[in-house]
Amino acid sequence: MKTALLPLITLASMLALSTSAALAQDKPGEAPFAYAAPAFIKELDTRFPAQPPVPPSPPRYGGVLHFPAVIRAFDPTVGYRPELALVWDTLTEWEATWYYPEVQRTPVIRKTLVTDWQMQNPSTWIFRLRQGVRFHNRPPVNGREMVAEDVKYSYELLKNKAQYSTRAALVKSITVLDKYAVRFDLTMPDPKFHLNIVDSLSPVIVPREAVEAPGGLAENPIGTGAFMLKEFSPGDGALLVKNPNYHLKDKDGRPLPYVDAVRLYFTKDAATETALFRSKQVDVMRVSTLDQIYALMKTAPDLTLYRVPSFGWGDYGMSMALDKAPFSDVRVRQALSMAINRDIVAEVINKGDAALYGPFPWALAGFTKRADYSYANLGPNYQYNPKEAKRLLAAAGYPNGFDVELEWAEFQGWTYGEFVQLAARFYQDIGVRVKLKQLETSTWLSKMTGVQPFNQMLATFSPIGAGPSFMDWVYLRYHGSFPRTINREPIQDPKLDDLLTSWRTDPGDKRPQLQRAIWDHLRQNVFRITTIVPPHYRVSQSYVHAGGNPYCWFPGYCSYEAKTAWLTDKAPSRKFDKFAQ
Amino acid sequence: MRTYIARRIFQGLLVLWLVSLLIFSLVRILPGDAVIMQLDQAAAPTPEVLQIARQELGLDRPFLAQYRTWMAGAVQGDLGRSLITRRPVTQELLRRINLTTHLAVLSVIIALLIALPVGVLSAVRQDTTSDYLGRLFAILGLSLPDFWLATVAITFLAIWFQWLPPIGFAPLWQDPARCLSQLLIPALIIGARLAAVSMRMTRSSLLEVLRQDYIRTARAKGARERAVIVRHALKNAFIPVVTVIGGQFSVLLGGTVIVEVIFLQPGVGSLMLDAVLLRDYTLIQGAVLFFAAVIVVTNLLVDLSYAWLDPRIRYR
Repeated sequence: MKTALLPLITLASMLALSTSAALAQDKPGEAPFAYAAPAFIKELDTRFPAQPPVPPSPPRYGGVLHFPAVIRAFDPTVGYRPELALVWDTLTEWEATWYYPEVQRTPVIRKTLVTDWQMQNPSTWIFRLRQGVRFHNRPPVNGREMVAEDVKYSYELLKNKAQYSTRAALVKSITVLDKYAVRFDLTMPDPKFHLNIVDSLSPVIVPREAVEAPGGLAENPIGTGAFMLKEFSPGDGALLVKNPNYHLKDKDGRPLPYVDAVRLYFTKDAATETALFRSKQVDVMRVSTLDQIYALMKTAPDLTLYRVPSFGWGDYGMSMALDKAPFSDVRVRQALSMAINRDIVAEVINKGDAALYGPFPWALAGFTKRADYSYANLGPNYQYNPKEAKRLLAAAGYPNGFDVELEWAEFQGWTYGEFVQLAARFYQDIGVRVKLKQLETSTWLSKMTGVQPFNQMLATFSPIGAGPSFMDWVYLRYHGSFPRTINREPIQDPKLDDLLTSWRTDPGDKRPQLQRAIWDHLRQNVFRITTIVPPHYRVSQSYVHAGGNPYCWFPGYCSYEAKTAWLTDKAPSRKFDKFAQ
Repeated sequence: MRTYIARRIFQGLLVLWLVSLLIFSLVRILPGDAVIMQLDQAAAPTPEVLQIARQELGLDRPFLAQYRTWMAGAVQGDLGRSLITRRPVTQELLRRINLTTHLAVLSVIIALLIALPVGVLSAVRQDTTSDYLGRLFAILGLSLPDFWLATVAITFLAIWFQWLPPIGFAPLWQDPARCLSQLLIPALIIGARLAAVSMRMTRSSLLEVLRQDYIRTARAKGARERAVIVRHALKNAFIPVVTVIGGQFSVLLGGTVIVEVIFLQPGVGSLMLDAVLLRDYTLIQGAVLFFAAVIVVTNLLVDLSYAWLDPRIRYR
């Protein structure tokens, strides 16, 4: 008996030892994080102001910047990834990221490949190209100048590709006026079309020779961007080296980029990314939750954190099948919205570090101060009121509630499992019996993108746009004329369509009022249940200065950030002859 | 013998054809397709645009037409192009197989280095402390999951030593030091589990052989104990061990997804996982067909090795 117990006792001791070692980073006697969160959030507010300090000047040239990314194909004709903008430029790009409320109303556009534009009428726009911009000096393009024909070719090539169609489908035709000027004729009037060609989902400019060469852009990755792809190792990562002839300069006239190379690691696991950051193999990375920040700060106390309020990307919400009962009844939708305590959702999802979220980004409704992100501006349908919710359900003919199926899935970066359980608990309180149905992620994506209809309710984020574009975020997503792949629920409301059409055709004077009117209409009708949106977190090593633009929240999402990032002499010395070094 | 091999090859080809048909059908039953899976979250294409994208990939063609085209290429060694990267499937596979083979071979070597001495020691010193320790190791190896060991390993390495295995594969013949520093820890984690299985098999098999008459005869003839074990017992005891190692090796060649993902070592496992998640039909089909072929061949080799290990075995 004694000998039989020996292995068990040894095994138990080893497991206990290893578990205690795994938890060794938590100091004994320290309060569990859930209770420490408010103090930690306050500490972050003080130590890392939302608008980070401007990096010192002059910048230091050299070094290799490492950051994680997910790129399956380094070819803009195959799929879109923001990081592709390191190699291929769009006509324009955001100067200051639109995530900051302070700049959301006045987005500043950097003229990457154009020098100016002119609206002849809302359906006709002329863009004048920057002269002397050259493609990378590699065969078969060999550094030739980018001209108007390239813009026409690129838009015609990419406008019907699924990844660019949201923006480029508005373009009916492109005419080359001269070597450096193109005219865009649109399928419908858009007085703000210039906002639709800024980076993120806008076609990039590619040279015809590279596309038509054997292997296409995948084997001839040639653009006008600040970096040239040296090596792409699918599943592994990529190495990009500085384009010595890049045309953009910094504000003091110094050539860009500052770093010699960028190495991307295609990570898939948060624990791996954290370990890479701790071992200084990664310099900058996104972090999904406050928990991760907390753990990282214990072992990398000198890190720099950018904690940027989200414009709207990454919220937690639910879509309802509006063409079916009971969701076709506005009272039911209002009841389902007010049954949710959004403060508790914020607490559970991200330890309270989250903002309230309404029908669409706050800034697009004219709320430009973070103090405006309040229940008062959302109205009664967003305030926790189970008693009123029950009354509304009874008035709608459901005094005993109803059964509903809520579909959801695990999706990297989100914690839907906790969210749907919380929602089910809140709905139980008003008599709505929720059956949770977990989907495989790809099926969920199909339903989320409207390719496949969902049954009753779907836990998902709100349809998103790129840039501060009301067209992307609201018009396309709520107008009844669009198919389910764009208008997911689908929302069919003639009054809303009228408002949106008025906005669309307005030259700009009345747009702010119309946007607020649309906000009021949507928060009253609750076509989607929205709750909270956590901020974006970016951590960087102490030896990284995130370039001359303190607004951009992540290099991959704003290529200018990688162009202007620089490394101090404390950065690890790295080679860049090949990816595996 | 020749008839046996010919029959096995024919059976193998039949298996491969059935596998190809099965996998070709199964991947198309899954909801979603490569076009949907490639979309950015902010993209909102119309159904017409999605249809154009499907046409470009040939996904709008009838099932049998797609199968015929793919099979015609496959029998000539062309497994098509990945729907996501647009690179040839064979090229994608070979690159990943290189890493996976390194990892699998290193894991098997580590496993054998641990399992054989420990298994033999446990068997010849049954019910002693060394036997208990050996069995404890086996229980630990079997009960601690790979993902837990791997996560703990990278966390500790990063916190305590600010070091992680380097990223970016370098083959052994190009840069042995880098290759080993990259693969040693993942191989230790995979090898520990495999060692546990093999050690138990070695122990039980050897115990059984040691009780056979011919072992008693060898001892009665005055052979030294070491000679009895090494020369007479071990070879026969290896048959089930080889079966286990052969089977496990095939599984390892199919990829060790979790360890690959955690250590950022993109082998076949993560390739397959990505292919399934992204509905990269041609890549899934090509990879499954390739590994079915590997398993068929490995099984044949394992079966043939029995005759070498035990001359009493005859093939008909």
